[in-house]
Formats: sequence, structure tokens, C-alpha cells
Amino acid sequence: MERTVTASMPMALGNQDADAGLVERYLAGDTSAFDELMIRYERQIYRVCYRFVENREDAMDLAQEVFIKAFEHLPGFRRESSLKTWLYRIAINHCINHVKKHSHEFVEVAEHMSSVRPSVHAQLEEKEQREHFRRMVQHLPPKQKAIIELRINQQLSYEEIARISGRSISTIKASVFFALEKLRKLVKDR
Amino acid sequence: MFGHLEPEDFVNLIEGCALPAKRKSHLDSCARCGTKWTSMLAMHAEVTSLDADIPEPDWTEFRSAVRDRLLSRSLQRASAVRRWTGWSIQPAAAWALSVFVAVALTTGAFLWNTERTSSPAGVLEPLPLHPAVESNDAETVKAVWSQTALFDELVQLGDAEEEQLRQMIASAQKGTPYRQ
Repeated sequence: MERTVTASMPMALGNQDADAGLVERYLAGDTSAFDELMIRYERQIYRVCYRFVENREDAMDLAQEVFIKAFEHLPGFRRESSLKTWLYRIAINHCINHVKKHSHEFVEVAEHMSSVRPSVHAQLEEKEQREHFRRMVQHLPPKQKAIIELRINQQLSYEEIARISGRSISTIKASVFFALEKLRKLVKDR
Repeated sequence: MFGHLEPEDFVNLIEGCALPAKRKSHLDSCARCGTKWTSMLAMHAEVTSLDADIPEPDWTEFRSAVRDRLLSRSLQRASAVRRWTGWSIQPAAAWALSVFVAVALTTGAFLWNTERTSSPAGVLEPLPLHPAVESNDAETVKAVWSQTALFDELVQLGDAEEEQLRQMIASAQKGTPYRQ
């Protein structure tokens, strides 16, 4: 429940200070800081990962790997960006690498789903349409998918996404446009 | 002539930003931009709705899994380090190392001593040539030569001359003038 509040809260300067304090405490050996850091970001990171793999187990695995990577590299975190930006960057890079490595598997799963799901959920047309749209989203290039997720679902600002991805705000806006445009074409061609 | 809306204009519209008056009037009058704008809004709404379907894991389990994996990785790292450095602190290895060092030192000292005593002590090594001679410096060669010549003259004295020299030295010691 506490998560729902923290996850929907926009990152303010106060949150950054709180993050810095938690990082200090964690590095000093305070184990409770680990839980607090996890509670703050686990849901957001998991949802980003989910967008890339579209299944709970793989998303959990990916998110766990992101946190392991983050905690192992926390002593080297230079605080040039906020912890949130840093975590998202790790997550996006990790997910993109994962997708590149397992691209064949995703195609197989998607094809399998397309052959099975309609027969199972024939009566639930709305759900089926949403499922189909989800598969369309899976066809987006990984970077566009990441930007769509960060902006539309995670509601990060363009400035934050620009910092995470290392691109300009105009490029991010253009990516959002082209991702939506591509989705429109995919839906139209189905 | 004003063109169609740019990608950034559509995104700004989605974000709720107002367009400049000229672009707004273009959007109202251009069927192509209007269609695009409507479809983009629909896609945006579809993407937003996807967020609701994401199944949530058990967060306590998730956290403890991360903690366990972190712990096991740090233990693996620690054991890997111990595998490489542990030998130096194990007693058997320490004993073996100290015996090896002792044997090596004793053998080294013995060999060094043997080498020293086996070299012929009474035989003098030939003296190296005067470096100046080697360098062929004309003046130095001349000086060295003159000293050698005087020595040779002294060595080559005959008996009579030797007796004469002995008398000269004796009279000099007595303080009396030498008479030949």
C-alpha cells in the first residue's frame, strides 16, 4: 500500500534527498535502507521490465537482475543524476540487451499466443483486442518501447527521459510520435 | 505557405499544450492532420490502458529474492577471493613455504662459498693495462715510458756501479762528502 503512494508520486527534490540518505545508510550497512529503496522503486522497475517481456516471471527475473546490478554498483554511484534516473537507465539498458539476446524467443511466444489466445478468449472481445494491441506494442523497436513506457505509463517528464536515454527532448518527443504512428499502422494492417 | 503539423506539435497536443494560432487553424482545416491527430489520441489512450493489465508479483517475495541473490553473489565472490589467497594462511602451506625458503638460502650460501674457495688464491690476475696506454694518449704514454726507463736503468747497474751507489748513500747518511 505504501508502494502505491510512492510509485505515483513525481520525483521531487525532497525525494532525491531522501534517496541520497537511503543510499548513504545502505552503504553504511543499514539493512533497513535496502527495503526502503526497494519499496520506492520495485514497482516502477518491474513495470518497465514487464513492458519488454510481457510475462510476470520474466519481468520479475529482469527486475531482480536490475536491482542486483544497481545494489552491486551503488558504491560507484556518482550522484551526477538522481537515483531514479540511474535506476531507470540500468533497467532500460538491461531490458534492451535482454530483448536483443532473446529476440527469437519473443517472436515464437508472440506467434504461439496469437494462435492460442483467440480461441481461449473468444467471448472476451475487448480483452482480446487489448491483448492484440499488447502484441503490437511488442513489435515496436526496444528504444521506442522504452520511451513509450516511461512517458505514457510511468509518466516521467521529457527532461527525465532525456537524462535517462541521453537524448534530447525533441528526439524523445519525436520518438513518442513515431511509436504511436507505427502502432496506428500496425493496428490498421492487422 | 504553412505546412502540416510536425511530430513535436502532435506530441505537445497530446501533452495538453496549446498550439500557436496559425498551427491550430491549420489543424482545424487540414483533413490529413486532423485524422492523424485523432488516431494518435486513440493510440495514446490504448497504450495508457495497457498499464492496468500488468500482473503484480508478491513484493515481499520479490524483495527477499533480490536480497538472497545479492547475498549468494557476494558469498561466491568472497569464496573466489579466498580460493586464491587462502593458501598463504593455511598452516601446511606456510610450513612448506618456510622450509623451501630455508633450503634455498642454505643452498645459495653453500654455492657462493664453494665458488669463492675454489678460485686460485696465490695466482695473481694479470694487471690490466693502464687505461691511458689503451687510450693512446701520446703524452701519457711518454711519461709512463720515462718512469719505466729510469727503473730499468737502476735494475741494470753493474757490480761496480752498485758499490758506488752504496757508498754514496752511506756517505750521505754520515754527512761526509762522497769522494770517488
